[in-house]
Amino acid sequence: MDTFWNPRTETLGRRDLERLQAAKLRRTVAWAVARSPFHRRRLADAGVAPAEVRTVADITALPLLTREQWMAEQAEFPPYGRLPAIEPRQAVRVHTTSGTSGREPLRALDSRKDWAWAAEMWCYGLWGAGVRPGDTAYVAFGYGSFIGFWGLHYGLEKIGALVVPGGAQSTSNRVRQIIDFGATVVASTPTYALRLAEEARALGVDLPSSTVDKIVLSGEPAGSIPETKRLIEEQWGARAFDTAGMTEVSTIFMFECAHQPGGAHIIEDHLLEEVLDPRGDNPVGYGELGERVVTSFGRSAVPLLRYRTSDLVIREPGTRCGCGRTFDLYSGGVRGRVDEMKLVRGTNVYPRAVESIVRGYAEISEFQLRLSREGLRDEITLRVEVGDWRADDHRWPPLRLRLADELARAHEGLRFRVELCEPATLPRFELKARRLVDDRPEMVPAHV
Amino acid sequence: MCEPTATEPATDLLGTPLSEVDERVLAVYSELKKLLAEDGLAPSTAANLRAALAPVAIAVTDLGLCFEHLIELDI
Repeated sequence: MDTFWNPRTETLGRRDLERLQAAKLRRTVAWAVARSPFHRRRLADAGVAPAEVRTVADITALPLLTREQWMAEQAEFPPYGRLPAIEPRQAVRVHTTSGTSGREPLRALDSRKDWAWAAEMWCYGLWGAGVRPGDTAYVAFGYGSFIGFWGLHYGLEKIGALVVPGGAQSTSNRVRQIIDFGATVVASTPTYALRLAEEARALGVDLPSSTVDKIVLSGEPAGSIPETKRLIEEQWGARAFDTAGMTEVSTIFMFECAHQPGGAHIIEDHLLEEVLDPRGDNPVGYGELGERVVTSFGRSAVPLLRYRTSDLVIREPGTRCGCGRTFDLYSGGVRGRVDEMKLVRGTNVYPRAVESIVRGYAEISEFQLRLSREGLRDEITLRVEVGDWRADDHRWPPLRLRLADELARAHEGLRFRVELCEPATLPRFELKARRLVDDRPEMVPAHV
Repeated sequence: MCEPTATEPATDLLGTPLSEVDERVLAVYSELKKLLAEDGLAPSTAANLRAALAPVAIAVTDLGLCFEHLIELDI
């Protein structure tokens, strides 16, 4: 009983789970058509009447929604577009996307109930990771307009944990507060968990001997990259649990349970997730890489029907995990983004694959991947910082050779330049890291 | 509508009869909705009832008892 936040649905058989999803889907589609001018027009254009959506399988009759369509709507009818099913005065909060992609941020309204729901989704994940009322949780997050860990904060309060909000702090102050408050849980992005560990070493703080025993990760796919996760766990002496969410949903859609089966459970009683071929609209099966498409039952203010997320995932049956949950898994978490793949001299390069190699070298403290064009030729350069090493360090040449060789072997022989940067010269990040810099004058379109 | 009627017994969204605890949770939810529909509530009363109803709505949704949006009550 104590394993599950909501045992009634987390252990529901697949047939009943789909019946529950269908009941919510019917109500959500009816709600969207009745209240959102945007959805009403789109379904009418697609020739779909809400009454025709009866089962989970019927969802394929609904049109797919892209980020670009949402943004175009927002630009045409500022500030929120016509997606919302409520008047702005009925909302209690507005948040935006992080803006790390360089695009115009997306604005999303939430009602009072929406926030209770967003916190609830985090409770599924936090409870699944073993967070309990006796925990003291440090939230290493800026508490700004980016939705980030706001929902986690409220989820922790709902569970009854003691929350230490770590906003508006320097990294060194955050390390001190984690120690001073005796935090048992720390929430941050994977990148920032490593940054905190680096700062702790500089301060002479031995994190593995601290009270922290759980790191809750979100905001970047790296929380499910085994090499990155292992590094975080080693540097903190704690177990790391991946979660993933998005502003468009307002909260998390998957979480890694205490059994850690190499994947994260989808919160299927509140979300209906499909995995489609990124090149088209056809579904892919269990075990196949595809693009996540989400329909949310939780956010009343902004109905979300069949939203193409650009997240690349591999879905597997929940029975692969021994925890007892019937919710399916995304094996390996979010494996990248459809628009993230880069083509360099004919070879596909995924930042996640590069990170998984770099994180195999514990001595590398930060890195950046830079794409450039010299004449007609694309170049790819991995720039790394290795502690306090400088260019004349005798340990660098053999490390550089090993890295270059491993990168080439993982990328069909593609030759990477590997450069050592001076200490503390590469950018550090508190939220989503931006380690890929594409300086090529003409972007090569991504094809997956 | 999630409340039972004279002719239809209360069931959850899967058609399963409600347990006694389910019925009591649903009764709290229904009572909060009814209260918020009253005219003349003091701002403090209305605001706190709204604040109470939001998580109760999540509880009934989690249990699969009911699934409503409640925007008409500004929740």
